[in-house]
Amino acid sequence: MSEFQRQHPVAAISRAFGLIKGNMITILVFLYVGSQSESFSFWIWLGGGAAFLLTAGFLNWWRFLFKIEDDTLHIKRGIFVRRDLYMTRDRVQVIDITSGIIERAFGLVRLTIQTAGSGSRQAVIEAISVDQANLINDQLMNKQASESDGEFPPEESSLNSDIIQTIRLPNKELLITASTSGSFGIALSLIATLFSQIEPILSNSRFYEEALRLIPAQTDGMVVVTTILIFVVFAWLISFASTLLTFGNFQIDIKKDELVVSRGIFEKKKITVPFNRIQAIHITEGIIRQPLGYASVHLESAGYGDEQGSGSFVLMPLIKAGNILSFLEETVPGYYQMAPAIHPPAKALRRYIVRSSLIVTVVVAAAFWILELNFLIWILPALSILWGWLRYKAAAVGRHPDFFILRSRFISRSTAFIRRNRVQDMTLHQSIIQRYRGLCTLTIYVASGDHGKSFSVTDLDYEIGSALLESFITGGFHQPEELSFKSDSLPDWSRETIHKSEPLIDKRS
Amino acid sequence: MTDRVGFYKVSPRTIRVWRISNAISYFFYFGIPAVYYAILGADGFHGWFLAFLIFAILIVWSVAVFWFPYQNWRNWRYTITQHEIELKYGIFFKTHTLIPLSRVQHVNTRQGPILRWQELSTVTISTAATTHQIEGLDSTLADRLRRKISTYARLAEEDV
Repeated sequence: MSEFQRQHPVAAISRAFGLIKGNMITILVFLYVGSQSESFSFWIWLGGGAAFLLTAGFLNWWRFLFKIEDDTLHIKRGIFVRRDLYMTRDRVQVIDITSGIIERAFGLVRLTIQTAGSGSRQAVIEAISVDQANLINDQLMNKQASESDGEFPPEESSLNSDIIQTIRLPNKELLITASTSGSFGIALSLIATLFSQIEPILSNSRFYEEALRLIPAQTDGMVVVTTILIFVVFAWLISFASTLLTFGNFQIDIKKDELVVSRGIFEKKKITVPFNRIQAIHITEGIIRQPLGYASVHLESAGYGDEQGSGSFVLMPLIKAGNILSFLEETVPGYYQMAPAIHPPAKALRRYIVRSSLIVTVVVAAAFWILELNFLIWILPALSILWGWLRYKAAAVGRHPDFFILRSRFISRSTAFIRRNRVQDMTLHQSIIQRYRGLCTLTIYVASGDHGKSFSVTDLDYEIGSALLESFITGGFHQPEELSFKSDSLPDWSRETIHKSEPLIDKRS
Repeated sequence: MTDRVGFYKVSPRTIRVWRISNAISYFFYFGIPAVYYAILGADGFHGWFLAFLIFAILIVWSVAVFWFPYQNWRNWRYTITQHEIELKYGIFFKTHTLIPLSRVQHVNTRQGPILRWQELSTVTISTAATTHQIEGLDSTLADRLRRKISTYARLAEEDV
């Protein structure tokens, strides 16, 4: 591969589609304007646009060259402004092999290469054959891993030979993931927007009137409730389907030095994370999932994220709370940790409740008196007080000599496992009221994508916060004696044996 | 936390710099009543409202010019040892940050026109997740600090 190569010509088409995807709104506006214009017909607009996109895609493909030489991937690209991109082996963090629908039809894959550092640090080779992708992967990735242990001959490191374990998401879990997915709200707002756009068209059509006539005994209340119900069901269906497509075929391959997560039914995605690039693991127990005893596991890495610029992705979409600890032990070495839990002191409960309910209560009170609303509206402040109490109950810090375990709740409860030497910076904040009450907020920043990610626990005792900050450098943490703790530990999931009962893991070694 | 290592303060000349820069940046708030006047005029209620608005902004402006800079300077402390950088600052919200030197990715010194006039510099410390700055150090001190941090950071280097 020491000669410059072009991608497969299909790249031109997928590039064109990429342009459509990226400029959807602009294109819709143009089409709308085009359909209004009288001098050109709609089809000329459409055809011209398609021709333009194809030309752009073709030029992109023509001007995109890549080669591998001396463990460096060299990419030349750009239609007018030529850009040279060099990625050396020891700077490459993650190689991600995916395939969209177009690529798959031709048996091709898309290769995404990520390096550490800021600015332009990602290279995408749009469409190449699987063999070429494996070749690049071997040249830039596996050799690096083998070099670091020195006992792993490079020629053996093909893609599948060194999988130690494979973890899959069982179908039942996949269905539960899809039905409890949080993208529900997003889908709902999407539908609402869409509906508000097409509603005027619909309401003029005869079909709409017929449909309305079919609904028996309509009152205004009925119509509103039915509409909301229809929206909710639709949104749920959309989020169900999209989650099913995203997390279908979910699989984690555990290798000697890295994790490979692959998922997706149509748009296949493959993420490779070397163990030494993991910055933090956090477990999210959603408000619907927690009562059912389920959670999802997320991973923060320095190099890779689901979206551009973020370093976060789903390591396991759904897992029984009782299996989390076994899962951590099996997949991410060193992240199975326990520590005595330090909760915010009792005096913090008031801060939590005030913080979560103050604004709601004031707004509701004002609305109640001024608009003379039904007294049922007072359910909202009551709920917000409950919310504050739940947040108070969830908050905790676990301190292990080499680990921080932070738990907090916004809506869902999140438990973060952060290795001490992965902490980028640690900060104590104190507002005026917190200072008066002897409380503080502890925030830990870890590297994740471009911006990093923070985990914090609010309203810890100031003494504890200071001791934690102090212990961050020295390592040893001595709890101030005058403060008593509940003797529970963090995390507090019960541990069920995973090896015999669950078909989740199949050992290959 | 007790000062187990000596904390340093930034240069007192920074107060003057902050006064000037706050005086300029907070001055733009007077744009709000100006726009208000241009659109709604100053008759009746609008006149009273405008007067109130200008008065309120004037108070904010004088606090920002006369009180903030001194308080900010009084509360600003930093220390740099072989293992860590510690920063303490804040007027209403007190912040105490600890950055391990092994996590420092790069460190810069910067000078705006007002800082340059006072021969001061800002040291910017970046990690993979956050960026912090110590504003208002004497330029020579800032350079020395930058060198010190980068030396320590190299000594403490671990793989990110």
